[in-house]
Amino acid sequence: MTDNHEHPYIPKLKQQLNDRKIDRRDFLRTATLLGMSATAAYAFAGKVAGGGMVAPAAAQAALPKGGTLRIGMRVHEIKEPQAVSWTEASNIIRPVAEYLSYTGHDNVTKPYLLEKWEASEDLKTWTLHLRKNVTWRNGKKFVADHAIWNIRRVLDPKTGSSVLGLMKGYMLTEFETGEKDDKGNPKKSTKLWDSRAIEKVDDNTFRLNCQTAQLAVPEHFFHYPFFMLDPEENGAFKPGFSGTGAFVLESHEVGRRAVFKARKDYWGTGPYLDSIEYIDLGNDNSAWIAALASKQIDGLYEVDINQIDAIKALPHVAIYPATTSQTGVARVRPDTKPFGDKRVRLAMRLATDAQAVVDTVFRGSATVGEHHHVAPIHPEYAKLPPMKRDVAKAKQLLADAGFPNGIDAEIGAKVQPAWEVAAVQVMVEQWKEAGIRVKINTMPAQNYWDNWTKMPFGFTSWAHRPLGVMTLGLAYRTGVPWNESGYSNKEFDELLSKAEGILDVDKRREVTKRLEEILQEDGTIVQPLWRVVNTAYDKKVLGFKMHPTQYIFPEQLAVKT
Amino acid sequence: MGRLIVRRLFYLVVTMLLASVALFLLFELSPEAVVVNELGPYSTQEQRQIWLEQNGFNRPPHERYLAWLSRFAVGDLGHSRLFNVPVAQILATRLGNTAILAAFFFAALIPLSLSLGALAGMKEGSWLDRVISFICVLTASVPPFASTVLLSAILVFSLALLPGTSSMMDGFSYRELIMPVAVLVLYDFGYVARMTRASMAEVMMTPYVRTALLKGLPYRRVILSHALRNALIAPFTVIMLHVNWLVSGVIVVEFFFAFKGFGSLVLEASLAKDLHLLEACTMTTVVIAVCTQLAADIGYMFLNPRIRFK
Repeated sequence: MTDNHEHPYIPKLKQQLNDRKIDRRDFLRTATLLGMSATAAYAFAGKVAGGGMVAPAAAQAALPKGGTLRIGMRVHEIKEPQAVSWTEASNIIRPVAEYLSYTGHDNVTKPYLLEKWEASEDLKTWTLHLRKNVTWRNGKKFVADHAIWNIRRVLDPKTGSSVLGLMKGYMLTEFETGEKDDKGNPKKSTKLWDSRAIEKVDDNTFRLNCQTAQLAVPEHFFHYPFFMLDPEENGAFKPGFSGTGAFVLESHEVGRRAVFKARKDYWGTGPYLDSIEYIDLGNDNSAWIAALASKQIDGLYEVDINQIDAIKALPHVAIYPATTSQTGVARVRPDTKPFGDKRVRLAMRLATDAQAVVDTVFRGSATVGEHHHVAPIHPEYAKLPPMKRDVAKAKQLLADAGFPNGIDAEIGAKVQPAWEVAAVQVMVEQWKEAGIRVKINTMPAQNYWDNWTKMPFGFTSWAHRPLGVMTLGLAYRTGVPWNESGYSNKEFDELLSKAEGILDVDKRREVTKRLEEILQEDGTIVQPLWRVVNTAYDKKVLGFKMHPTQYIFPEQLAVKT
Repeated sequence: MGRLIVRRLFYLVVTMLLASVALFLLFELSPEAVVVNELGPYSTQEQRQIWLEQNGFNRPPHERYLAWLSRFAVGDLGHSRLFNVPVAQILATRLGNTAILAAFFFAALIPLSLSLGALAGMKEGSWLDRVISFICVLTASVPPFASTVLLSAILVFSLALLPGTSSMMDGFSYRELIMPVAVLVLYDFGYVARMTRASMAEVMMTPYVRTALLKGLPYRRVILSHALRNALIAPFTVIMLHVNWLVSGVIVVEFFFAFKGFGSLVLEASLAKDLHLLEACTMTTVVIAVCTQLAADIGYMFLNPRIRFK
């Protein structure tokens, strides 16, 4: 690569790959992140580390054209595409609207509507180059003004987008609106931290000037509601709405189905299908399986672990698993009794047998959690010595903390999905042996999310994220909105900021290792497992790979004729 | 009879009012739930506030209730948040679907249960009676949530004879109706047949039937023109009350077979906390309950001339 704008770190990265200090995946991830084009990065990785890793576009060239695909999935109401709160809803938008970046099935983030990006050495300035051949449905070109309009829109609190929470730290600043709320406290709102935070360079280029270093900007572009919508339509969602994607929404009936027809002038590879339909079969899992069995649908959004056996019995269906960084954590708030003492929290971890939870709840098909919320599939994951169950030590710690007779507590848990309560039940039984007597308070998901950050003790599910530092920054940094346990540790915060500014995966891993240790030692969570998500498709469906986020990319799919 | 109808209608309005207030109050218990449902768990407090304001949730509850009630009273059922269409529209579609299901259900249930019940009741204690009663008790004791699984395991998964769900995506389909109707009939015919049997057996013991038989009338004619009419009074009431049961009892079946009817609508509306839709569903249920009761009373009067309502 002889690009003048090459990030100064890229040559070093190449060297590391040459010396086999990093593996292909880490190389691809970081190199593409720093703006090396995906083709170039894959080519370089292939040359050095040997073949096997073909760039995704080339692998799919041989798919047959035509046909209709029906996928069973909830069809939700969508009022505001950039504020959808469930992955299912985003799957209804994705055939039409696209993202600036694309995190592949291999956890490598590549440019998508962007052609490439460049990050400054301090990771505060991101220069983003758009592809020049992308068009909206009416033939108009996709330009920098459109992208900027979309970014401003998701960062506007009125839009209600969850991207705001993600980018707040490096793009926004809080200010007082001058109004007072019911309790007389001044109302706060957010705005861009600087008038030049988003800066247009030319028609195809713009720049993000961040207030703090941020490693995961491209990953954030792939957040599920971060769609590029047509400013001309002011982001409306309706049949025929404009987008850059491979399909056109033909009809959308909430609770029934959504139908898409292929677009002929799509800029990218595909689509292969003539049309794709999402069919809503209600909330009952057995209906989904029955529909798949009788070939009323060709694929499912997700298959529950309890139904795997039923699916396996269907000869025309294949199961697709994906290892994810989706998880659930039993977390406590240190500002409530008796969880203020870190010995109590450690005792809870020591009283837990994560393997047993995995075996009981997921019949072994999940990855054992290590109580620090960095997943083995994360690039900066550092393997720590396994944390073995030690009931005697847990009891000792409790006694030291002033609870020789153990403690009593109540844990909040959602009734759905079912695995969460099951996991909690297994852990509660394990804790009992160490004298930690916990009552389970189950509640509907809505009620849980109503006060998930306030509950003294609760079991919270966390979505998949491609980087370990992303979750740590969202959930455990002092004072951030999603820090549900109210965790505050100065050393942790400083190390985390440091890690977020380190590009070198090896160096970042060293810091992450310490972060993981802090969480194991002092943290607020018991984390039993990492989920494996499964889905099932008819064997006639080609090109399908389960994405860890459960996003569906219909332009990659085809049916055997 | 006029007074009876007026009195019933009065009760209907009172019940509807009470039910609507109760429902409204339940929702007031957790106002945040609506917005969390709408914007998702990861929305910030500020975003939620803005949404609540934009959607008029900041007005006092009694004001919102009265506004809703005054619109409802003149036939404006409001807008469904969940489906983003007028409530009247989705309600009509779903009620229509359930009506189709109900029509096929009754078309299968009535002949089956009445004939089996009458056959069993003709000669109490005969082997035919024993066999029919056994089958009735057996099927009636398997609840729908079990028989759905059982039936689809056999007919859909093992034999692949029938479609597994009944969402009618390609338009109306008789084949897709078979499973839900079968489950409902299987669960219900035993009960109605047993009622018919008891009623029939009772009639067969009455002096006039004995007299008819002793007079030498053909057995067939005694049954068809003398016994049966009187024996049908009790099952008629039971069947009318089944319309009620059907409206809420189909939830399991509709849910399992992804049938887009009234039952699944109620379930979805309550899960999504769609207040307008749920209020309309509740009102519909109340209207159906009161009307079927009224119809049962009036029909009863015609079947049994001894009964006169004052």
